[in-house]
Amino acid sequence: MNTQPRPSSQSGSAPPAAKPADLEKLVLPAAAIAPDTPVLDVGERILDAANTSFLSLPIVARGMPVGTISRYELMRIFLMPYGRELYGRRPIAAMMNRKPLVLRIDMPIDEAARAIAAHITNPITEDFIVTGRDGRYVGVGAVLDVLRAVEDRLTRRGVELERAHARLKSSQLQLVQSEKMASLGQMVAGLVHEINTPLGYVRNNVEMTRGAIGDAAQLVGAQERVIAAAGKPRTLALDRDLKAIEALRPRIDATALEDLGALLDDTLHGVAQIGELVGNLKDFSRLDQARSDRANVNTLVESALRIVQHLLRKRDIEVVRHAGELPDVLCAPAQINQVLLNLLSNAIQAIEHERGRIVVRTQALDGRVLVLVEDNGKGIAAEHLSRIFDPFFTTKAVGQGTGLGLAIAHQIVEQHGGLIRVASKPGVGTRFIVALPAIAEKTKAP
Amino acid sequence: MSVDLPTVLFVDDEERILRSLRMLFRGRCEVLATTSGNEAIEWTRRRRVHVVVSDQRMPGVSGVDVLRAVARHSPATMRILLTGYADLDAVTGSVNDGEIFRFVEKPWNAQHLIGIVDQAAQIAVRDFAAPAIPARAAVVEPAAARVLVLDDDGAIAAQVRELLPHAITIRHARTIEAALDVLAEEDVAVMVAQLTSAGGDVAVALKELKRLQPALLAIVVSPLRDSRVIIGLINEGQIFRFLLQPPVKELLRRGLIAALERHAELRTTAQLQSRHIVEPARDTNASLSGRLAHYWRRLRDGRLVRGARAG
Repeated sequence: MNTQPRPSSQSGSAPPAAKPADLEKLVLPAAAIAPDTPVLDVGERILDAANTSFLSLPIVARGMPVGTISRYELMRIFLMPYGRELYGRRPIAAMMNRKPLVLRIDMPIDEAARAIAAHITNPITEDFIVTGRDGRYVGVGAVLDVLRAVEDRLTRRGVELERAHARLKSSQLQLVQSEKMASLGQMVAGLVHEINTPLGYVRNNVEMTRGAIGDAAQLVGAQERVIAAAGKPRTLALDRDLKAIEALRPRIDATALEDLGALLDDTLHGVAQIGELVGNLKDFSRLDQARSDRANVNTLVESALRIVQHLLRKRDIEVVRHAGELPDVLCAPAQINQVLLNLLSNAIQAIEHERGRIVVRTQALDGRVLVLVEDNGKGIAAEHLSRIFDPFFTTKAVGQGTGLGLAIAHQIVEQHGGLIRVASKPGVGTRFIVALPAIAEKTKAP
Repeated sequence: MSVDLPTVLFVDDEERILRSLRMLFRGRCEVLATTSGNEAIEWTRRRRVHVVVSDQRMPGVSGVDVLRAVARHSPATMRILLTGYADLDAVTGSVNDGEIFRFVEKPWNAQHLIGIVDQAAQIAVRDFAAPAIPARAAVVEPAAARVLVLDDDGAIAAQVRELLPHAITIRHARTIEAALDVLAEEDVAVMVAQLTSAGGDVAVALKELKRLQPALLAIVVSPLRDSRVIIGLINEGQIFRFLLQPPVKELLRRGLIAALERHAELRTTAQLQSRHIVEPARDTNASLSGRLAHYWRRLRDGRLVRGARAG
């Protein structure tokens, strides 16, 4: 009785297999109804156990969908007084919905969902018809299935997004860490040199002093024995002692002792210097606990300057420091230190000539603390200036910069509710200004 | 003061280091000291300086710059780097440009430093006294020169072959044993060695070979960016060049040419070989030492045989 072709995905042109989620998976093989089927027969068909899951049945003429008839519409007909008698023998084509929603089998789910949303009625009374690419009938689709598929995809995508986000976050952390390690590596290299220099002469001086004290002990011992032997007959031992005294005296004379004193002064100086360097390191590591703290930016600037001191000295760069009186800021001192170190080392690297000069000015202005770092280096080209805070943007050679330093500095300053600005002129120099909100001073009671 | 004392020049930007060193070497040599690299270079131009001991990190001119200039103006002067931090650039620069005798790290051991400076001074005193240092334009006899390349995949050997004239014989060895066989049988001028591991046999072998055969010049090609390894190769192996792998072609070419020229000098003027005296190696490998001793015996016997044939 049903002469329509069975719905199958083989009808029409088969969609490519690798296609991502489209309607194909959702197609339900509903037996199509010919347009001339009497309404009564259609009523029976819709009650058929095979069709209980459908809201509507497709009506197909010569393989092409022409309409749908919904369970809802049939119920309306049969519930009318004499509905069955009046309409039962009529062809279903007279009662069908002539403008059903028809979607092609290769339509992506999202697009299908949009088409359904535009077409939907309340309550949902119909399924939609699915055709092949040639427009021929393939089957029907349930609105709810599409919604479920969309929901599934959204959930899946959400999970993926979450994962991607977690991955990004951890790689960002790693990058920040590696930038930190890179600058730490540079710093350590400098500090090692700075410490080994005084350690070099301290050790040498101590070794020499030890040798001299050995000589002095011998000399004094021999002299004591000679004095004790005064007036006694000459012995071989006495001759040995006299010879030893003669040999040792030029090495342990007043000048030599004076020289030793000078060496020991140097030694003390060196030890103090090592102590100071280690102290700087300790400050730096304590600051690295990254908690929020009241801090004076001048102190942070001095600490950062001390840490890059070896670079400045090596390049013979003059630092002009203008320290204004500053209110405290609430900050993670280690992070602000990182920003300052970054600005200073950039300034140093920008200077390629012999008359290097870096101006570091701090001042308070309108409830903010400003730090200005200005170099007379090569400057930044205008087309680069807008990008210098972008992550991975670098004009330095491979291996010389991660391109993250300023991006991190920018992020840190913003997290502190501050601003970082740059102005530059190629061949003249570059100026960075960092502004941090100051802690509002409590007005003193009169 | 005695006129016979050798002159040693110390360069360091820290006055206190200079004061300390001056004191340490008082009576042992005539000490010159300056905080300026440029001044140091000037002095070596104007007067006979037997040994230069320079710091690396200094404002203006670096230690490697100083030693490079000294090597050019006063090749008989022995060069020593004394530095507080060994960054890779400084270390490779000190080998390749400074051609230094020793790389000493701060803080130094007084007796050790005295020993090194004394040894260097003796060598320089002798070289200055005898007009031994020939003009650098020593002609290489290409047919006689042999280059041995030790690398496991042959890539470096291929590169060396491409860079050198055909007249020069190039031998390739994949293992140390194969390299020793070649060395025992043939008269190798330059050895290009790939160094892939810091603690491996290649480094030990290079040091031992230099001790046994000072005229053999080594060019080390390595991916290792380890200053400590290179310092060991300088002090205990007197390597001629250190190139990061993959080697820059031009640097390898120049290194090979310079090594062949230097080898010719060392062959014609045997006394120059003492400029390449090595420190005793710190890490040795008993089994390798055994094999090297065996090689050495074969080499000696072979020479005797060759000598007999020639005579």
